[in-house]
Amino acid sequence: MRMRRGSIVLSSLLLSMSLIAAGCGSNNSANNEAANQNKANNSSNADASGNAGNTSTNAANATNATNATNEKKALDPYEVVMVYPDPNQSDIGTVQSAMNDYLKTTYPDMNMTVKLNPIDWSAYSDKLNLMMSSGEKFDLLWTANWMNFETQVNKGALLPLDDLLNEDGPDIKSVEGDLLEGARRKGKIYGVHVHQELGNPQGVAFSKELIDKYHIDLSPLKSGEFKDLSPILQQIKDNEPGVTPAVGPAFPLGAYFGSGSMENIIGPVGIDQRDTNPDNQFKVVDAYETPRYMELAKLTNEWYKAGFINKDATTPGIDIWKKFQAKTAFAAIGTDLEIVKDMKIGEPSLMANKSTQLGMDIIQVPLNIDRLHTSKLAATMQAISQTSKDPARAMMLLNLFYKDKNLLTLMNYGVEGTHYVLNNGQIDLPAGKTKDNVGFFHDNQWQLGNQMLNYTRVGEDPNKYFNYEQFNEMVKSQPSPLIGFVFDSEPVKNELIAVSKVQSTFDPGFQSGQLDPEKDLPKMIDKLKSAGLDKIIAEAQKQVDAWRAANGK
Amino acid sequence: MRGNNWTNVLINIGLILFSLACIIPFWLVLMVSVSGQNALAKYGYSFWPKEFDLVAYKFLIHDAEPIIRSFGVSIAVTIIGTIASLAITSALAFSLSRQDFPYRGALSMFVLITMLFGGGLLPWYLVYTKLLHLQDTMMVLIIPGLIGGFNVFIMRTFFMTSIPPSLIDSAQIDGASEYRTYFNIILPLSLPVLATIGLFVIVNYWNDWFTSLVFIKTDTLYNLQYFLYNTLMNAQYLQAVADKAHIDVSTMQTQPLEELRMAMAIIAVVPVALVFPFLQKYFVKGLTIGAVKG
Repeated sequence: MRMRRGSIVLSSLLLSMSLIAAGCGSNNSANNEAANQNKANNSSNADASGNAGNTSTNAANATNATNATNEKKALDPYEVVMVYPDPNQSDIGTVQSAMNDYLKTTYPDMNMTVKLNPIDWSAYSDKLNLMMSSGEKFDLLWTANWMNFETQVNKGALLPLDDLLNEDGPDIKSVEGDLLEGARRKGKIYGVHVHQELGNPQGVAFSKELIDKYHIDLSPLKSGEFKDLSPILQQIKDNEPGVTPAVGPAFPLGAYFGSGSMENIIGPVGIDQRDTNPDNQFKVVDAYETPRYMELAKLTNEWYKAGFINKDATTPGIDIWKKFQAKTAFAAIGTDLEIVKDMKIGEPSLMANKSTQLGMDIIQVPLNIDRLHTSKLAATMQAISQTSKDPARAMMLLNLFYKDKNLLTLMNYGVEGTHYVLNNGQIDLPAGKTKDNVGFFHDNQWQLGNQMLNYTRVGEDPNKYFNYEQFNEMVKSQPSPLIGFVFDSEPVKNELIAVSKVQSTFDPGFQSGQLDPEKDLPKMIDKLKSAGLDKIIAEAQKQVDAWRAANGK
Repeated sequence: MRGNNWTNVLINIGLILFSLACIIPFWLVLMVSVSGQNALAKYGYSFWPKEFDLVAYKFLIHDAEPIIRSFGVSIAVTIIGTIASLAITSALAFSLSRQDFPYRGALSMFVLITMLFGGGLLPWYLVYTKLLHLQDTMMVLIIPGLIGGFNVFIMRTFFMTSIPPSLIDSAQIDGASEYRTYFNIILPLSLPVLATIGLFVIVNYWNDWFTSLVFIKTDTLYNLQYFLYNTLMNAQYLQAVADKAHIDVSTMQTQPLEELRMAMAIIAVVPVALVFPFLQKYFVKGLTIGAVKG
C-alpha cells in the first residue's frame, strides 16, 4: 500500500504538471519547439557559416557545370515545383497542364514541366518552414524580407543565385539590373526581385463629393506639407457635423516614417533626411528626436484637439474606407495612393481603382514620393530552394517569367476563354462568370516575374504599367543614401524587442494625436533610452560606417 | 449563519461578474452578426443592433458550399475521432488498471513519457508525411488526436478506484471472457468518465485547426475551424502585403465584412454548445474523478 500511495502522489504531481502544460496548448508548444529548432539551426549555421556557405556554393557550381555540359546534349525531363502563397483555385490543374503544354511546344529543348504548389496565406510561413526543414524537394519559392527571407538565408535554405543568374538568367539581368542587389546577403544574391513598382506615393485621399460641395481649392497642397490642410479640415468640421474631417487610422506621422523625412534603418533608427548639414549625411539618429517628428506630432495633436480626427482611430479593425462608404469621412491623411500618369506633389487626380471598388469617387493628392529603398527591393522575391534537384532549370523557368508574356499570363490569369477573355486588350471575366466561380482568379501578379509584361484588368488604367515605369524613374532618380545597405539586427536583437514594446505603447497615441508630444514625447524618449535605444543607434552607426568604408560612399 | 449568507452573496457576485465577463463578448459577437451591413462602420459596436438584419447569415447560406463542406468534415472527424479515441483510450486504460496485466509498469511509463515530452513539430510532420504518407487525408485529422496520455491516466484512475476488482473477479468466475467483462461490466459502469473524456476529446477535435494547417492541402478537406482561420488570416495577410510590401492591393479581394466573420464564429460555436448540456450531468460527476480517491 505504501508503494501505491507513493506512486499516486507522484502521478498526481505529474498530472498537475501536465495540466499546466496542457493549458499552454499543444499548438503553442509545437510552435515553440519549431521556433527553438530554428534558433538551433541558425546558431549552428552561424558557427559554421563560412564553411556552409562555401560548400553550398560549390555544390551549386558543380550542378551548374554538369548542366552546362548536359545542355549541349539534351536535358533530362525535370519538374519544377513552384511554391507560393495563394488561396485554393479550383481549376489550378487546368492552368498547370496548359502551362506544361505551352512549355513543351514553345521551349522543347528545356524539357521541363511545372508543378504549381500554392499554400494558403495563413499557412505559408509554417508550411514552408516544415518543407525546408524536412528536406522536401521543391524549386522556386516566393519570399520577402517581411516573410522570413533573412531567416531562410541564415538557415541555408536558399541557394545563392549569382552564378545561376549569369548562366541561365539573362533576361532577369537585363530587366532588373542593379535592382537585384537588394537581395544580396553576405556577398551573395539569394532572391530575384519581382519587377514592379519601386515605391509608393503617399498623401491624402478625399471624398470627391465633399470637395465639390464646398468647392475646396486643393492648390495649397502643392507645398507638400500636411499643415496646409488645416483650414480645409476646419471648413468641413464647421459645416458637416456628422463627418470626420481626418479619418484614422491614416496619419501624417505614419507617412512620415513611410519615407518622407527619414531614411529608416531599423525600428525608430535611421538618417534624418531633413538635416541639411553635410556632416550629418550618414549620421544615425532616433526618429523621435528629430525636429520634424515633433512638428508633425504637434500638428496631429492640434488636429485631434480640434476634433478633426475620430476618437476610435486607434481601435483595431477600423476600416477607413468603410467610413468613406458610410459617408462619415472626408479625408484619409497619410495613406498610400495609387500610381497614376505624371505624378506630381500636390497634383490632384482620381483614385481610379479605389473609386471603382468603393462605388464612390475618391480624389488623391500625393504629398510624398518614396525614395528607392533597399528594403523595397527585397519586399517580394522569388528564390530557389536548397532542396532543388536542378537549380539551373528552376532559374531557366524563372527567366521565362521575365520575358514570356504568354507564360506569365497563364500563371496570373489562367487559360484564355476559360478563365478570362480579352476585352480591348484588357483582362475580363468570361460572360456569366464571377471571380468566385470562374475557377482561377487571383491577384498574384506582384509575386512573380516582370509585371510590366502583364495585361491589366478591365476597370484598371490600361496604361497602369506604363505609369509604373514612369513612376519608377522618379523613384530611381532619388535613391536612398543607404541603397544597398542591409542592417544585421542580430547584435541588438533584445534591445530591438524592448524598443518596439515602448513604441507600441506610445505610437498609437502620437499618431492619432491623443498624446501631447510636448509632455509625453520626452517620456517616451526616456523609456526608449532605458530600453537600449542608444546601443541600437551605435550599432547602426557602426554598420553604416563599415558599409561606407567598404563601398566608398 | 449570517456570515455564511454574506459569503454566499460575495461568491455569487464574483461568479456573476465572471459569467458576465464570459457572456458579454459572446453577446457582442452575436449582435454584430445580426447587424445590418456597414452598421459597424456607422455606429461602432453596440449591445443592441440599430438595424436588425440577417444579411450575414443570408450571405453564408448563399455561399454555403465550402462552409457546409468544412462543417461536414469537422463533424465527421469529431464523431469518428471521439468514438475511436474513447474505444482506444478506455481499452488502454483498462489494461493499465489491471493488477494482473504483465509489463503494466513499463507501459504506464511509456504513456507517461508521451505526456511529458513531445517529439516536436518537425518529427511529428515527418512521421505523418514521410512514414505514413497520410498528408491531405481525413485520417491525418483523426489519428493525432486519438490518444492523450492525460486522458488515459484519468480513466485508469477511475477504473482502479471506482470499479472494485472483485467485480471483475466475480464476472470471470461466472465465465465472462475479458472482452465480455470489458464491454458488459466495465463500460456501462464508466459512463461518467467516458462522458468527461469524451467532452475533452470532442472539444479537442472540434477546435483543432493546426493539424489542418500543417497537413491539409485540398480545400474540400478543410475543417471548419481552419476554414474560418484561413478566411481571417488571408484577409490579414493581404493587409500585411499592402503594408509591408507597399504593393497596390486595391484590386485584391476586400476583407470579409465584420458581420460575416461574427456570423461564422457563431456557427462554429453552436455544435459544441449543443453537445455540452447533454454531457453536463456526467461532466459534473466526472470532474471529481481521480481527485481525492486512492
